[in-house]
Amino acid sequence: MNRPPLLMRVKIKNERNDFGLWLPLFLLIPLALVVLIILSPLILISLLVLWPFGWGRLVVLAPWAAIVSFCAMRGLKVDVHNPRESVYISVV
Amino acid sequence: MTENKKKILEMLADKKISIDDAYRLLSVIDTEGGGQESIPKVEPGTKTRPKYLRVSIAPDPERENTENVDRVNVRVPMSLIRAGIKLTALIPPEALDKVNGALKEKGINFDVRSVKSEDIEELIEALGELEVDVISGRGEKVKVYVE
Repeated sequence: MNRPPLLMRVKIKNERNDFGLWLPLFLLIPLALVVLIILSPLILISLLVLWPFGWGRLVVLAPWAAIVSFCAMRGLKVDVHNPRESVYISVV
Repeated sequence: MTENKKKILEMLADKKISIDDAYRLLSVIDTEGGGQESIPKVEPGTKTRPKYLRVSIAPDPERENTENVDRVNVRVPMSLIRAGIKLTALIPPEALDKVNGALKEKGINFDVRSVKSEDIEELIEALGELEVDVISGRGEKVKVYVE
């Protein structure tokens, strides 16, 4: 698994808005952990309910898949611009 | 026959690319008059691990300043593509049966359960040698390549 991304740069420029943001993604990790701990009883109940229907695996693996996908975002860059507006997203 | 044409035919013979991809690449070489610059030379035996999938769309330089045309530059990490493909493992068997049924209805006889992680790795490795270069009728240059 890759190292998790630290920052996300978002820059939007059009006729009405012109702003740039540095989003500290590293702050999301402890926040996500807290949310996961709070929701763990609910996850456990849904696991027990869904297991007989074959969807239990999804409940177990989905949080892990979300973490892996989040970590894999490092290096993503989207840059779309024309003379009037521009959108720039970069994950570092 | 140029080196690039030989390379494409070799990739086709090795089943690394489809017939459509080979045709498209050969067309690109023909339009560029040899295409010596379009496909970077790869030393035999050396394999570079692809890191990013790049998609770039550049408008016609003559139209760029006069019209409201977009210039697009996207870099997607291969690890994100890998993670996305591996998410298919989360699909429950009942849903996979439905996917197989829908594919069969469209005339595609393919079992999505037969796709293994090794196959995905091989596919992503093979992507490293692929480069698509298209010039549209409106003069836009579309490039899809792996770096």
